[in-house]
Amino acid sequence: MNWSTALPLLVLASSLLPGLMIFFLAEERVITRTTLNLAGALLKIVLVGAMFWGILHGQHFETRLPLLPGLDLVLRAGPLSMLFVTLSAGLWLLTTVYAVGYLEDSPYRSRFFGFFSLCVTASVGVALAGNLITFVLFYELLSLCTYPLIVHRGTEVARKAGRSYLAYTLCGGALLLLSTVWLYTLAGTLEFTERGFLSGLDASVHPQLMFIFALLIAALGVKAALIPLHGWLPQAMVAPAPVSALLHAVAVVKAGAFGIVRVVYDVYGIEFATSLGLTLPLAILAAATIIYGSLRALFQDELKRRLAFSTVSQVSYIVLGIALASPLAAIGGLLHLVHQGVQKITLFLCAGNFAETLGIHKISEMNGVGRRMPWTMSAFTIGALGMIGAPPLAGFFSKWYLGLGALDADQAWVIWILATSSVLNAAYFLPILYLAWFKKPPASWPAERSFGNKETAWTLLVPPVVTAIMTVVLGLLASAPFGLLEWVRLIVIRGYAQ
Amino acid sequence: MNGVMSASLLVTALGLPLVLAFPALHRRLPWPVHLALLPAVALVFIPVNFWIELPWFQLGAGLGLNAQSRWWLAISVMVWALVATFLFTADRRDGYPPQTSLVLLSMTGQLGAVLAIDMVSFFAFTTLMGYACVGLLLADADATTRRAGRVYLVLLIGADILLLEAMLMAATITDNLGFATLAYTISLSNSADLYLSLVVVGFALKVGLWPLHLWLPLAYATARPATALLLWIGPVATGLLGVVRWLPLGQMAAPIPGILLLAIGTVTIFYVVLFGVMRAQRTPLPAYVVIIVTANFVIGLGACLIDPILWNRYGESAPIFMFIAGLGVAIMMVNFQCSNANDKRSRPKPVDRTALKMERGFNAFIAWGRRTGMDTLPRFRALWLAKWDGLWQKRIWQSVFDSGEYFLQRWSFAVTLFLLLFIVTLALLLLDAASVQ
Amino acid sequence: MELMLGDVPWIVMLIILPLMGGMACFLFPAISTALGLLTSLTIFTCVAGLSWQLQDAGAQRYAMGGWGAPLGIDLYADGLSLLMLVMTALVGLGISVYSSRYFSRDKANHFWPLWLFLWAALNALFLSADIFNLYVTLELLGLAAVALVALAGGAQALTSAMRYLLVSLLGSLFYLLGVALLYHSFGSLDIAILAQRVEPSPAVWVAVGLISTGLLLKTALFPLHFWLPPAHASAPAPVSALMSALVVKASFYILLRMWLEIFPIVGASFAQLLGLLGAAAVLWGGIQALRQTRLKLLIAYSTVSQLGYLFLAFPLGTSLAWQGALYMLLSHAMAKAALFMAAGNIQAVAGHDRIAELDPITQHLPLTLTAFSLAGISIMGLPPSGGFIAKWLLLQASIQSGQWWWAIILILGGLLAAAYVFKVIGHVFTHDQPMSEAKEVPATMEWTALVLALIAVLLGLFTSWPLAMMEIGSPFGGGYSG
Repeated sequence: MNWSTALPLLVLASSLLPGLMIFFLAEERVITRTTLNLAGALLKIVLVGAMFWGILHGQHFETRLPLLPGLDLVLRAGPLSMLFVTLSAGLWLLTTVYAVGYLEDSPYRSRFFGFFSLCVTASVGVALAGNLITFVLFYELLSLCTYPLIVHRGTEVARKAGRSYLAYTLCGGALLLLSTVWLYTLAGTLEFTERGFLSGLDASVHPQLMFIFALLIAALGVKAALIPLHGWLPQAMVAPAPVSALLHAVAVVKAGAFGIVRVVYDVYGIEFATSLGLTLPLAILAAATIIYGSLRALFQDELKRRLAFSTVSQVSYIVLGIALASPLAAIGGLLHLVHQGVQKITLFLCAGNFAETLGIHKISEMNGVGRRMPWTMSAFTIGALGMIGAPPLAGFFSKWYLGLGALDADQAWVIWILATSSVLNAAYFLPILYLAWFKKPPASWPAERSFGNKETAWTLLVPPVVTAIMTVVLGLLASAPFGLLEWVRLIVIRGYAQ
Repeated sequence: MNGVMSASLLVTALGLPLVLAFPALHRRLPWPVHLALLPAVALVFIPVNFWIELPWFQLGAGLGLNAQSRWWLAISVMVWALVATFLFTADRRDGYPPQTSLVLLSMTGQLGAVLAIDMVSFFAFTTLMGYACVGLLLADADATTRRAGRVYLVLLIGADILLLEAMLMAATITDNLGFATLAYTISLSNSADLYLSLVVVGFALKVGLWPLHLWLPLAYATARPATALLLWIGPVATGLLGVVRWLPLGQMAAPIPGILLLAIGTVTIFYVVLFGVMRAQRTPLPAYVVIIVTANFVIGLGACLIDPILWNRYGESAPIFMFIAGLGVAIMMVNFQCSNANDKRSRPKPVDRTALKMERGFNAFIAWGRRTGMDTLPRFRALWLAKWDGLWQKRIWQSVFDSGEYFLQRWSFAVTLFLLLFIVTLALLLLDAASVQ
Repeated sequence: MELMLGDVPWIVMLIILPLMGGMACFLFPAISTALGLLTSLTIFTCVAGLSWQLQDAGAQRYAMGGWGAPLGIDLYADGLSLLMLVMTALVGLGISVYSSRYFSRDKANHFWPLWLFLWAALNALFLSADIFNLYVTLELLGLAAVALVALAGGAQALTSAMRYLLVSLLGSLFYLLGVALLYHSFGSLDIAILAQRVEPSPAVWVAVGLISTGLLLKTALFPLHFWLPPAHASAPAPVSALMSALVVKASFYILLRMWLEIFPIVGASFAQLLGLLGAAAVLWGGIQALRQTRLKLLIAYSTVSQLGYLFLAFPLGTSLAWQGALYMLLSHAMAKAALFMAAGNIQAVAGHDRIAELDPITQHLPLTLTAFSLAGISIMGLPPSGGFIAKWLLLQASIQSGQWWWAIILILGGLLAAAYVFKVIGHVFTHDQPMSEAKEVPATMEWTALVLALIAVLLGLFTSWPLAMMEIGSPFGGGYSG
């Protein structure tokens, strides 16, 4: 076991081991637990950086563990994996800092942080998976590890949400397992290959391949919140804010979208999928989800539920970008994977701040919040404007590329979908901004906690501000030489025949 | 050295107002808005035309100054100075700290739009300016102004989307979105007509042409002169600048959009003259003057679209026209302010119900949405969960399972089943044997 | 040294040691716990020695007393027997450790002899090479199990023990009739010899029917599973564990052996019937488990459901399917023993095992509930666990052979299992206040459950060794192939 085979395992271990250790800590050992958490998060970032460095210098990182005769567990670091791993590792650090502040004096923190770390391990495993069976393994682990986080508070609502979540994700997982076994029987291999490994199969199995594709999209669409499989997401908002932030910005929802990217690019191959006629229905489904999610978001008064439906809508941008058979659209989709993560996590962390500091859960209670918590509200504003797609923030560029890609693929109807969605986004975000900044605050907030003359605890304040700054930077420096755009171009180019 | 200084002046001209927009900063400085204007003033007087390009910024941005934009910059600077002065001479209202920040933010946006030399930066800066202006309108004490703000917000969002589509089309045609080459490349493409229509409609929504001009009188009715001036230099004037830059004037003849522009401009003038002046109220007067000026400009543009040669001859006078018009508007505002200060008359509120109707419709839509259910409809739930929760089905299945187990546990039943199994097995085996032979 | 190790007759020791240990425990009740633990450890080492021997030298055949077949008794150890022996040894060791702290003094005096006696019967069963020996060991197994079930005392325990006794005798009776018919037809009782001599004839069909039905009754396949849940509900926790994990598997083993060696002549319809009954068991057991209000009954019905999976391999018939079924058998044994031990812990702390009232005590038993969750993961067939590997293999076999409906059953069974497992685990996450005075549970009991559950999970990651072990002596070589 040398460095290049051990590093992927080490990246996994950097959150797995602290997580397992935290389970055994007593509730009062706050400092030990926080140290373990932060040490794990920082170590993971360092290791991911080392992986980056190695890849830039031409190293290959791959771990192979035999699972069954003929099937291995493979962890491989390719450009797409690194995109998702970096996003996960970076946002995990911020969310951990936030969670430490958010859950101060809550019961069962050791259990929470233990499962939190396991969750990130599973998420990184999904990112680094090098074949479909490894992907399935970590995908199911992710479902299992997120359930305790959703039901953490133990109230009846939380347990109901947890049951609903399990129902959806385990059914999806069952479908995923079935399709994987079927593919393995047909193709004899499950390794993720550029441009897919199914194009060489005989034409007589094409109907089966089409059915398997539908099953896979249904299975992955549960986590990626495609309609009509999105029902668990708004209910899962009952979880504590760091859980909503991490899960719905980074881990669970992105894992689903990431899975769809993998299936379309590395299992079927975009050209083969287009030739089978699979991409147009997927694009239509994604477009329907975009509009539906935005419409439902418009009707919500609870802040977190509105953000949840917004996630439903925005994640389908990624799927839409992948489903349009154009490299530009794919660039837009993958850019949106990162941008939506950063923006959505800002919004959720700010929502958590409002709930924690002032007891605000509904939008109608948010009058004048901007006066009381200016930094948080500014971060929220930047996140919201990014979601709407206002230049020069990050969200604008992903929508730009999606639009270009749509024109490139001769699917001009997508532009209408994007335009309508932007209007709807503005319709449900701008009133919040108006209320918060321009209305008079009420005489007293629902449940105010005082933090001295600071706006709120610094552990709650710094993460959303940092992610808001990241949104701005990602937007401004989009075309920078080592920027995100170059990286995403690199990923997409490999998916197409030269 | 000169290059570095001019580049840094460009950046400071935009950066200083942006930085000063932070409340913490501008509260400590005296005359912050004027301070923020200084680099821009310096820029006006630099004799050389130059530009800087930042390919890594956004999608490739550029800022620059040439003879045309110098005039725009001059009038902008002057109007902003007036705005700044009026801001502080008006009665101080400490309840609205965002005002200075918003003014500074719209200043950044407006100056940036004037200085931009490519479509993306222009769009970005006008977005910033537009939303800052909307913020100013919405923060006002008066309900009418706020209504105006809401109407303008909707128009702005619609216009931005149309302009975004136009930008996308331009991007598919060419990689370089700089204004220097834009006109020429657009004129060569096939989809120029669609592009032109999008641009024309988009900007028409922004600058206050009939029939979407209503927000201007609403805003001017009760706004302070500072806001009025700002509204002119911001949305209206910069919108017109945008039309000039984005349209391929002088390169191609586009009769239909040109006639469209001519028509809108003329109708606007007639409408304004008829209804506005007939009402004979002093307060909306500046608004109508502004609209008439805009309409004139638009008529000129329309004519140039029909016949490109006109542009080539008279194009350079467009900014000078705007300069003079701006001076006129500014003088009128100053006059107005002085006369109002002397003559404290109560202002009649113009009755306008259009905005309310729109809003009522929108609110009703949201209420309907809320009534039709927050929760996911049952048919979207996991199948077995739905079956399990259905009370009627539950009862039947429960009794089935209960009785099943009950009977299985009776000895007689069990032994019968056992023997039955034996017989069935035997039968199957014999059947198989028979079929083989 | 190596030569010596190779020469030691591990096979025989595996039968003799538990017998001697049982007798010693009976004779010296005062130190029965210590003796029992010691015996368990030695049995474990013997199994290790046997596995080493088999890997080295292949399948082993041992003639007792020097008298070989057809007159004498042969003992035969190949990969399949070794798998069963290893499973018994691991689970048995766990049960021994658990019972050392579970039973009070007087109960322990009865438990240890019976348990070791049962273990001896199990080992002998897995090593038998002729069908009458199998009958003898099967009967002994049944009697010992009945006695253990009745150990708890009380009317309900005695009733279920009585019912189990009658069922056991009925099943063995049918089996004996079948054996008699076979002996009459072919003149030998040895499996290897029968495998060569067997030919289709009416007597053979009847014998096959009798043997299969008798064994199906003893393996609690739907709809003949009625005796299992009551027997489990009233037995002490370690007894339930060993019954679900080991005893029902013994009759399955016999059926499997007969199927592979003597019944290849059987046509496809019977296999389909077995598959159908297995599918019905999966669904019925799952749904019944979901409806239970008592924890031990839930786990008992879960056993009924999981046993159904094993029978899905019969219609598929490929070696991949057998591997899947055996892997399922192995991981189920570990997981089910862990589940019952966890239930025993919960009952010890709370005094009852009603699921709806689990909330207040869950905070006192973190290790137990972790064990429950990990074992549950294997039962559900989620990665990474032995259950997942087994499910994968069975799914692969069913899709490869084109009989995709079994795949649907596997998926549905997994979802049902998830439903009833999470029904229990959901009670861990509660905001009720924990019970203030709670009885303490010895740490050994919690840790044993956890270790067995961990083994079930680790079986999902380290698959090469069990799979290789199964292939020693290629028991599936001449197997029925669809």
